Amino acid sequence: MEEKLSKNSFVENLKEFFRRDLVQYIFKRILWFIPTLLLISILVFFVIQLPPGDYVSAHIAALATEGELVDADYAASMREDYGLDLPVWQQYIKWVKDIIWTPSDTAYYRLYHSHHNWKYSFAYGRDVWSVVNDRLGLTIGVTAIIMLFQYLVSIPIAVYASTHQYSVGDYVSAIIGFLGTAIPNFILAIVLMYLSYKWTGNANVGLFTQEMLKNGIHLYNFGDFLKRMIIPIIVIGTSGTCGIIRSVRAQMLDEVAKQYTLTARAKGVSEGKIIMKYCFRAAINPTVSGLGGVLSSLFSGSTVTAMVLNMQIQGPVLYKALQSQDMYLAGAIVMVQAVLVVIGVLFSDIALAFLDPRIRYSGGGR
Amino acid sequence: MRRKINSKAVSLVLAAATSFTMLAGCGGAATPSNTGAETAATEATEQTADATQTGDIASNMEEVKVDGFAEAPMLADQVAAGTLPAVEERVPDANNVFVETVDATGAPLEIGTYGGVINLGPAGGSWGLSRPSLESIIRYNTDGSYYPNVIKSFEHSDDYTVWTFNLREGMKWSDGEPFTADDITFWYYMCHLTNYDSKKSWAALKEEVDGEDAWATLKKVDDYTVTWTFVNPKYPADFIENGDFKWCWAPAHYLSDLIPDSEDYPYVENEYWQSTGLSEEEVLANAQKKNIDAATVKDLGKAVSYNFWNVAGVPTVSAFVLSTVPGNSSKDDTLCIMDRNPYFWKVDAAGNQLPYVDALHFNQTSEDGQDLLMFRSGEIDVITVAMKDIAATLADLGDSASLREWGSTAWGSYQVTFNYTNPDKNYADLFANADFRQAMSIGVDREQVSELLTDGFLEPGQCAPAEGNVGYDPDWEAKWTEYDVDKAKSLLEGCGLVMGSDGFYKFADGSDLMLTFLAYDGGADESYPVFEQYYKAIGINCALKNLEVAAFDEAVDNNDWVAVMGPHTAVGGASLKDRAAPFVPIAQAAEWYGEYGTYYATKGAQGVEPTGDLAKLVELYDKWRLTSDETERDNYQAEIYKIHKENLWSIAYLKAEGYFELITSKLHNYADNLVSADCYQYSNMTHYEVLFKAE
Repeated sequence: MEEKLSKNSFVENLKEFFRRDLVQYIFKRILWFIPTLLLISILVFFVIQLPPGDYVSAHIAALATEGELVDADYAASMREDYGLDLPVWQQYIKWVKDIIWTPSDTAYYRLYHSHHNWKYSFAYGRDVWSVVNDRLGLTIGVTAIIMLFQYLVSIPIAVYASTHQYSVGDYVSAIIGFLGTAIPNFILAIVLMYLSYKWTGNANVGLFTQEMLKNGIHLYNFGDFLKRMIIPIIVIGTSGTCGIIRSVRAQMLDEVAKQYTLTARAKGVSEGKIIMKYCFRAAINPTVSGLGGVLSSLFSGSTVTAMVLNMQIQGPVLYKALQSQDMYLAGAIVMVQAVLVVIGVLFSDIALAFLDPRIRYSGGGR
Repeated sequence: MRRKINSKAVSLVLAAATSFTMLAGCGGAATPSNTGAETAATEATEQTADATQTGDIASNMEEVKVDGFAEAPMLADQVAAGTLPAVEERVPDANNVFVETVDATGAPLEIGTYGGVINLGPAGGSWGLSRPSLESIIRYNTDGSYYPNVIKSFEHSDDYTVWTFNLREGMKWSDGEPFTADDITFWYYMCHLTNYDSKKSWAALKEEVDGEDAWATLKKVDDYTVTWTFVNPKYPADFIENGDFKWCWAPAHYLSDLIPDSEDYPYVENEYWQSTGLSEEEVLANAQKKNIDAATVKDLGKAVSYNFWNVAGVPTVSAFVLSTVPGNSSKDDTLCIMDRNPYFWKVDAAGNQLPYVDALHFNQTSEDGQDLLMFRSGEIDVITVAMKDIAATLADLGDSASLREWGSTAWGSYQVTFNYTNPDKNYADLFANADFRQAMSIGVDREQVSELLTDGFLEPGQCAPAEGNVGYDPDWEAKWTEYDVDKAKSLLEGCGLVMGSDGFYKFADGSDLMLTFLAYDGGADESYPVFEQYYKAIGINCALKNLEVAAFDEAVDNNDWVAVMGPHTAVGGASLKDRAAPFVPIAQAAEWYGEYGTYYATKGAQGVEPTGDLAKLVELYDKWRLTSDETERDNYQAEIYKIHKENLWSIAYLKAEGYFELITSKLHNYADNLVSADCYQYSNMTHYEVLFKAE
């Protein structure tokens, strides 16, 4: 009976939620995407252009270190091919246009791009999206697993710590959490790799064994893959858990001391229900509003840690692209991140409204 | 069709040795009919003595008789399954096959066993995959001697206007197609002269006729013989020894539909190949069909006919060819694989087709130190190791790892160079004064620098050839190395500098003297603070400006710099044969001569005309380049070295630094004491095709 009631109230909530001027709100927000992203794209493009030199000079310098000398004519014609000889604003307009509108693999694309290609990764020698795509699945997969780990570990701990304030468990979780935050990821990664090497003779560098890279991941070697995930999960996972634990714990402590909690308790509502249905729902608020960045980090992963652990995800690609001034690749990755942040923020705003009925978007109280 | 192996066959290695010897000793025969083996047999006895002229490793190679061929089990399986021709049909016959018996130091090779893979670190830049795999026209030994490699032999006419390359009959591309003179004419007329490979600038095939650039005429004499004809004499230094001229072939059967005849890449008239008539769009579409992704024909041409080792599917003549399996087929892949070439044309002394190992694996790493961890875990077999890590790693790994030392051809380490063409006359004049350079050299306590920067590992030295290298001279190495602050100061005062109230010297006109050292990518971050204290102690105010490498290059190209420190294109190298540009101001290549090099490279259109000893260097270089007589060339080179010794345009503070590799002890035939240099193709000198793994 009670279960049915709560189900009904959930549906009611949902209906109520969408009755509000949310649709209009979402539409307005999406319209705002356009100027926001335009602004971001300008910023991205010009910031990437800021360092002296361009891809051609970086490329030629790299060739020189390998003993290959390139003459000035070749450099000039390369610049012309890549359009790097145009004024920056023209480069920008072409870049935006191509990155959004030009479909790959059409005759038009081939024809047009045989001379001026604006979504071409110089360093990889192919379409930027194909470079991004190469690592997208893995990046999302790895980051999702790590995030799941973060929330699954930190939220129960936070709830426990807040309901058992100043207990041994509270202190232990606080110490571990602080350590996780205080120790820079890359150092923890190095230490764990060292320990792994000491104990098992294998440093577990990278996400895959050579065998997997050659034959692919199958059921028989999935265990090895999970083994390789241990260090990244611990390293990246612990870095985020402390923040979540502390904020949820503090919010929870606030909520459990509030009048409504006392009232509910006085009315005989079960402790579990008080905590989970009321306090927790309010306490999770800041965490949810922080979800805006999740989509973006799902896309790029953790750059520094990924480099230390030799994980083949998006972050290091961006880093390398910036280093070698592979500007369309770097630009594309940063733009996608920006788009995802913008969308993520919208989602988290909607989620917040759903979680906390007091939040209104249409302006004015009700 | 099984070829009968002639028991009298002489090893091609011997042929190689002697045809080189022949080159050094006599005029050479213009008749292309001589096979390498015959040449070897007839000329070997009378010419051996001359081999010492540039080293005698080549003549150490023994005569080897190959009685038959054997192959790797994995290939034998394919032969049995009918998917691959028999080994006798895949490799050239005994007269044409290359028998590899010694390593680049002359040490004899073990007969290996088949199987396994060699795990290496990341493939690196554009040239990474080529280092362990590229087979070039000639190959060098550590003493500077060389022998024909892909080609069976070479000869030149008495007047050096005609060079003949004899190919190996029966040699195949990695896809089984015959490797013939057509592949040479195709490369030259369709890829090179059209500038499709982006390297039409190669000096080896170019000459000046009536003040204009002209290119050699290539003729196909028969399927296995070609001749290069020049109007003027083309001496070895400018042709076969030119470091750029590493190959002259391309797989015609594979590339013919990838060559356009367009405005930018017009067909070059020749008697062997017709215009393809293809537009650039068609060519790019054809490339797409071959799974080659290129945005422009410029990218495509450079990829398939220059850095061809990086493109999966392009046939090569290397021991290892890039895998075509997606995920392992790019140097950027986490695991890049190069598989055994089943048609490789080299065998060991027992007739076993090389290479021994099934594949090379290149493992991507993203941070320094990961390779060391992976080496310790046994995931990588060869790594370059820093001095500080050697002892600990060897102590931990015991007999399972061994050390290999690579010699350096650099002229000292911790070089600094000044901009002799600085637009500010104050600086240019000061730098031109040898006393200033002497002061900068003796003002530094090298013993202390050695302790501080290398734990005493590198001894004090100077910008001079290292022991064991061409031109080594102990006096030179010790010149201006005695630490003497007072003398340094008096030398500086002798240069007309005036001590200012701040304790630093100023120019005579009262303007500040500030030595801003450019460095790139943090290359001088560690060393600069050490040198700074010495420079300041003798009254030279200085600063460090660290730039990204591209910005550094730009500053140098724009002549917008005062001095450089740390890694830069320094003076020195194995010898002029290796690459002449670091020794003489002839290119836009080295910092020590600044704009003087631009002057030569642009034929006087830009840059600053060299005078005095710098002009003499250019003069001597031209003489060196245009001479066939080895003794004369050595003399010119010695004179060039002498001028360097007198001037010391760059100063080095410590002796040259080689580098070290750790390899798993399972790897056999991995030579020690190799030399890292551009003409030697760096790690190519290891000869990966002869490495094998055994307990």
